[in-house]
Amino acid sequence: MGDQFEPSILAFLCNWCSYAGADLAGTSRIQYPPNVRIIRVMCSGRVNPSFILNALQQGIDGVIVGGCHPGECHYHQGNYLTRRRITLLKVLLEYVGIDPRRVQMTWVSASEAGKFAEVMKKATEEIRKLGPLSQIKRSTEW
Amino acid sequence: MVEGTELQREVEKIFDTANVQYVIGYSTDTRGFQVIPFFAKKKQDVAHLIFSPFCVSNLAMYLKNYKGSGKIGIVLKGCDCRAVIQLMTEKRIARENLVIIGVSCGGVIDQKKLQKKHPAIDNPQEVMEKDDDFIVMAHGKHHQIPKKEIVLEKCLHCEHPTPLIYDVLLGEKKQPYGSDSYADVREFEEKSLSDKWKFWETHFNRCIRCYACRNICPVCYCTQCSAEQLNPQWLRRSVTLSENTVWHLTRAFHVAGRCTGCGECERVCPMDIPLMLLNRKILKEVKELFEYTPGLSVDETSLLAIYKPDDPEDCIS
Repeated sequence: MGDQFEPSILAFLCNWCSYAGADLAGTSRIQYPPNVRIIRVMCSGRVNPSFILNALQQGIDGVIVGGCHPGECHYHQGNYLTRRRITLLKVLLEYVGIDPRRVQMTWVSASEAGKFAEVMKKATEEIRKLGPLSQIKRSTEW
Repeated sequence: MVEGTELQREVEKIFDTANVQYVIGYSTDTRGFQVIPFFAKKKQDVAHLIFSPFCVSNLAMYLKNYKGSGKIGIVLKGCDCRAVIQLMTEKRIARENLVIIGVSCGGVIDQKKLQKKHPAIDNPQEVMEKDDDFIVMAHGKHHQIPKKEIVLEKCLHCEHPTPLIYDVLLGEKKQPYGSDSYADVREFEEKSLSDKWKFWETHFNRCIRCYACRNICPVCYCTQCSAEQLNPQWLRRSVTLSENTVWHLTRAFHVAGRCTGCGECERVCPMDIPLMLLNRKILKEVKELFEYTPGLSVDETSLLAIYKPDDPEDCIS
């Protein structure tokens, strides 16, 4: 550790599946990197691409959106709509020269605490390798 | 080639038969050669209406904030018509409130290209179409120029020269000039991430955030734009690379699956930012990933409001 770059990662987790999965990971004492900060949303469909871009502007190095598995959305279709959105957003980011791996999406159900920890570990490693996001980070803090 | 007199006759007929409030079309500017949008409010105004290969602007823009109840007549080229169809799918305007005067278009002239390639023709008075050439009259001389040299970029791969819906059609129905292969986008995709960013960095750095691209866009009609929203403030007012990039990404994303590729944003950009390279990338991906093309049918639902269970899942980790 020490000199190693520690990325800040933001996770938008849906209330019904991924957040409960993260909760289970916590109560089960499963370790996952402390780089991940979690914001609970009622559905992954709530995540506006503006949230993601705004996070990247404010110094976040990577964003993960967690939703229910396809067909299991509490609101029937929210995760399907997010899937389209994130697919397009990643394509767009890649096109302007921002590594698309900085925005990831995952399906984690309420019982998949192990998978949650795995995905977070993998994502943290990946983003750690990419280094700090330089392109669209705001230069002033005010 | 559409004759001005034919257009005027048809519009007169529309004033006689359909109860239209006004007809939106093109007219000549006081400077003679340039074309401006023109609202014909009564039958006497019809004499001002013209159509020529200089009629570049997309008049669909004037329909986006339509709030009245009466009928409106509008002159539309093939590409502009797709924007109107998109507005109809989004319920901005109803078909019965429109009288569409469709124009079968043979390509429109890019003034910037014309000036660059033929600086001698600085004040063209008249232009005629002849097969694959334009005959431009300037200073009493005729210049025959191949269409390919001076038409707008979008005209080179126009798939819908004839409007898809119309009440009156001027000119003969035209065959598509070929299908759009998105060669420019594909070429750009080949570049490395850092080269891509270098390219966009220089362009986004030049952006002055005048929002001309937003104001001219036929499908950008939110009453409050997120770029100007203060609480929460998504974008700061300062013109910096970070804010500019996010503005352009937000704009491109907001019109994803709604942009019909009319190219007005790029045309009006005072800093010549290649916005169509961004928009066309989305058009291409939307077509390839979701088999969706905006502005073709009134019954379509917006791209991001529908889904297929078997949509691509490459983004899932």
